[in-house]
Amino acid sequence: MTATDPTATDPTATDPTATDPTATDRAVAATEERPAVAPRGRGTTVVRVGPVSGRIRWRHLVVPLVAAAALVVVSAVSLGRGDYPIAVSEVLRTLVGLGEGTSEFIVLELRAPRVVVGLLVGAAFGLAGALFQTFARNPLASPDVLGITQGASVGAVAAIVLSGSTTTGELLGGLGIPLAALLGALVAGLLLFVLAWRAGIEGVRLVLVGIALWSLGSATVEYLLTRAEIYDAAAAYVWITGSLNARTWDHAVPLAWALALLLPLALAASRSLAALQFSDDTARGLGVRLPLAQGAVVLIAVVLTAVAVAAAGPVAFVALIVPQIAVRLTGGSRPPLLASALLGALLVAGADLLTRTVLPAALPVGIITAVVGAPYLIWLLVRGRRRSTL
Amino acid sequence: MTTHLADLTKTPGPRPGAPDGPVRLAAEAVRLAYDDRVVVHDLDLALTEGSFTAIVGPNGCGKSTLLKALGRLLRPASGQVLLDGRAIAKTSTREVARVLGLLPQTPTAPDGLTVADLVARGRHPHQSFLRQWSRDDELAVAESLAWTDMTELADRPVEALSGGQRQRAWISMALAQGTDLLLLDEPTTYLDMAHQIDVLELVARLHAERGRTIVVVLHDLNLAARYAQRLVAMRDGVLVASGTPSEVLTEQLMADVFELEARVVPDPVAGTPMVVPVRRLHGPKLPAPA
Repeated sequence: MTATDPTATDPTATDPTATDPTATDRAVAATEERPAVAPRGRGTTVVRVGPVSGRIRWRHLVVPLVAAAALVVVSAVSLGRGDYPIAVSEVLRTLVGLGEGTSEFIVLELRAPRVVVGLLVGAAFGLAGALFQTFARNPLASPDVLGITQGASVGAVAAIVLSGSTTTGELLGGLGIPLAALLGALVAGLLLFVLAWRAGIEGVRLVLVGIALWSLGSATVEYLLTRAEIYDAAAAYVWITGSLNARTWDHAVPLAWALALLLPLALAASRSLAALQFSDDTARGLGVRLPLAQGAVVLIAVVLTAVAVAAAGPVAFVALIVPQIAVRLTGGSRPPLLASALLGALLVAGADLLTRTVLPAALPVGIITAVVGAPYLIWLLVRGRRRSTL
Repeated sequence: MTTHLADLTKTPGPRPGAPDGPVRLAAEAVRLAYDDRVVVHDLDLALTEGSFTAIVGPNGCGKSTLLKALGRLLRPASGQVLLDGRAIAKTSTREVARVLGLLPQTPTAPDGLTVADLVARGRHPHQSFLRQWSRDDELAVAESLAWTDMTELADRPVEALSGGQRQRAWISMALAQGTDLLLLDEPTTYLDMAHQIDVLELVARLHAERGRTIVVVLHDLNLAARYAQRLVAMRDGVLVASGTPSEVLTEQLMADVFELEARVVPDPVAGTPMVVPVRRLHGPKLPAPA
């Protein structure tokens, strides 16, 4: 028997609607204000077309839409700003292909790559953070804290500093900074998963192992910098801070491909993530293949982090704060994936615009996000309302 | 309690727990171990359709471990668990989740999750990427909420509920999962006596009115005797006794399994055996299993 069998309904149940023969019909009236049968929560609409069915929570739709609209505005303003100011209207005309030659060159060739890389990096970090935090059941679990971005830094700094000096360095240098960073992040992610796995992944152990990896990576980077030529060290330092300076379409394209592939995968994994939020036993009891689901989520999140770091360096704290902001805006029990991606894009694009307009010197974007993120991290640690916080 | 007994007699269909019913879940020579430490030794157990079984025993006797193995959360070191005659280890997680539900001891829900959302997640094994909220899902959730008397609290966050309400919410989720079998690991932990009764009444109704096959690990022997039709007593990873409460709960068993000198008298309310402790025994241990 199934729980839906109306004949099996308890006749003494306190809610008379449960035995109401018209209950099924009323349940179909999806848009009804105060549903007779299922309390489906405020601001939710049920959609059913043929075999496809789902629930739309309006806040989960409105937040990404507003974020996307804000992104367009920020991007347009950002594209217009610089040594040769272009009006927003002219920027928009250029974007739809109606611009004149000069502004077309400046907007599309000089400024657009920087803005696009910023957007994509922010989206990748926001999404990766949302995935990590949900799967680890811990708001502290972001690729920054877990040492994934640090692993990427080790790879990139090694590639900058060691190229030419040793044979392994030659090899790393040959890979180029993006691939070296990708490799570093993947190694860190693998180490994290292997070291933290003990018949399952447990949030606190994951964070502790991650912090250990972070320290290890941090020490390695410091060591590499002390051995570096001064010119290499300076270049590596800018990279470590996270910067959007001098980005080209070459930086943007791999990132766009990765997001185009991984965002749908992440959204498809969303259902499993909902079950993974419970304890391992509950999740398995609900039919989730635990190692597979967790492995897939970690892999998606690590690759997203790696490609983002490879493109712009470890822009600090975006992956940590954005999912938590997103979940506060949408409500619910876990960071929304799409909203996290869009808000991440908005944060990085906004921070970049800030460095280039309000602030006297063009600081790397990572410094702005760190200035915003560090107090937030402290607040998160001090607050301790959430039981899952370390 | 009287209502529960009345419910039992009026239940249509085959009498629940008929010992000759088909075996739904069975352990065959199951040995369970954490790393090298063997916790359950070559244990056999068969649970029939519609039965209500309570596993009892002292702390650390392996009863929760056995329940985990029955629910496919722990792979036996040797032997096997059979679900409807098939090796459960070879059945997919999702298939198992449609037939067998389990409620871990003190389950935790993420912050911000409402009761309605919690119960809705019980539908996970019935959903897919395209089919995320079918009419069946909606009805099952609504009915489960109503049946467990949680409709009023549906929009509340789980963390804002009292202990007893929280346990009801989890049982509601297990009900929405729509499984024939339900395994519960100490569902009354940390509850006061009134709420223990409340939860066990709900479980008894799941059994009597919804025909669920129930396996529950319980600490309280008197409540176990009152609600379950069959008791399974374990000690040191070995099944010591199995049968109706009156067959199992004897003064001798209390001495053998719990090292407790106790009087066993009829429960003045339900007539089931009731254990009244006298004093702790420090007698010799049970002979090692053959």
